[in-house]
Amino acid sequence: MSMVMCVGAHAELRWEQTTVELHPAANDKQAVGHFKYQNTGKTPVHFKSVHASCGCTTAQTQKEEVPPGDKGEITATFNIGDRTGTQIKTVTVETDEAANQKTVLTLKAEIPQQLEITPNFVFWKQGEKPDTKTINVKVGKDFAVKHIKVTSSTPDFQAKVQEAGNGQFKIDVKPQDTNKVVASMLTIQPEDSQKVFYATARITNAPQVQ
Amino acid sequence: MKSSLVGQAVILAALALLPAVGEAIYFRDKISWRSAIAPSESVTVEQARAWGHNAIWVDARPDDEFASDHVPGAISLNEDRWNELLPQFLAVWAPGKKTVVYCSSLSCNASREVARRLRKEAQLSDVFVLEGGWEAWLKKNR
Repeated sequence: MSMVMCVGAHAELRWEQTTVELHPAANDKQAVGHFKYQNTGKTPVHFKSVHASCGCTTAQTQKEEVPPGDKGEITATFNIGDRTGTQIKTVTVETDEAANQKTVLTLKAEIPQQLEITPNFVFWKQGEKPDTKTINVKVGKDFAVKHIKVTSSTPDFQAKVQEAGNGQFKIDVKPQDTNKVVASMLTIQPEDSQKVFYATARITNAPQVQ
Repeated sequence: MKSSLVGQAVILAALALLPAVGEAIYFRDKISWRSAIAPSESVTVEQARAWGHNAIWVDARPDDEFASDHVPGAISLNEDRWNELLPQFLAVWAPGKKTVVYCSSLSCNASREVARRLRKEAQLSDVFVLEGGWEAWLKKNR
């Protein structure tokens, strides 16, 4: 802690915080973090580069030069896509300060997950006994789902939902037979929700190990 | 004097440890991207190529990078469009096949995340991350 304070005292660009934690809503497409700074030195600071750790995150500076005493912020935008759970993205900022030229800004986003589906893929090998296989569905801690509806895109598979209690469901999937190679998309929809989840059921070719 | 110096060194070391412990706690549920991949979960370009048709190549990079160029025969599976792309991958997956996931230095830890989700969510085995990613493949093949 004392080391951090020591480095901060010598740096011209002082960051209000280098880690931002965000909690986007379930349907949010983006999570935006604001990293505020102030030039506490006596000379202007120039940004040499601002580099996000991956293509899903972009970072923007308001200005290229920060005069002494001036304040500003770097905005980091994380495109959530179909990511779930804890996501950590970084932005590396390089300046022309004499010391501490590189600062790593960290964006931590907790993406809420309404349903956790495990496994989201069940398969049978061609000719295998068409036994029932089970997909487990767990409702996320911040959500209340009393019922789910499951439909199969083809009649080759039957899917039955069992309520297992405590925010959990079991989907029993059974193929009509395993004679031919077929696949089906299982659409899983929580009651009173527009959000749709998917699982795949498939009869595969027999393994061809070389 | 000597014991005083040792005492100060111990205090400084303890103080320096505090932020590290704090970070470890803060990132406790998401530390894998910083840690090394287990040898059993990664594969070199040479090893993966030796698997021939027994390997399915998965490109975890964003759509535009995949569209620009990719390993011949690779399937696009990224987290931007995971729900849409996963069924397309599962349609070609077959038991006994090995899955080789790659990304590039520009798409950070995408291959690790895609490999992790294939193991955890689809419960597939034999899923490997390509060491050195797209750049390593390019170096060996172009």
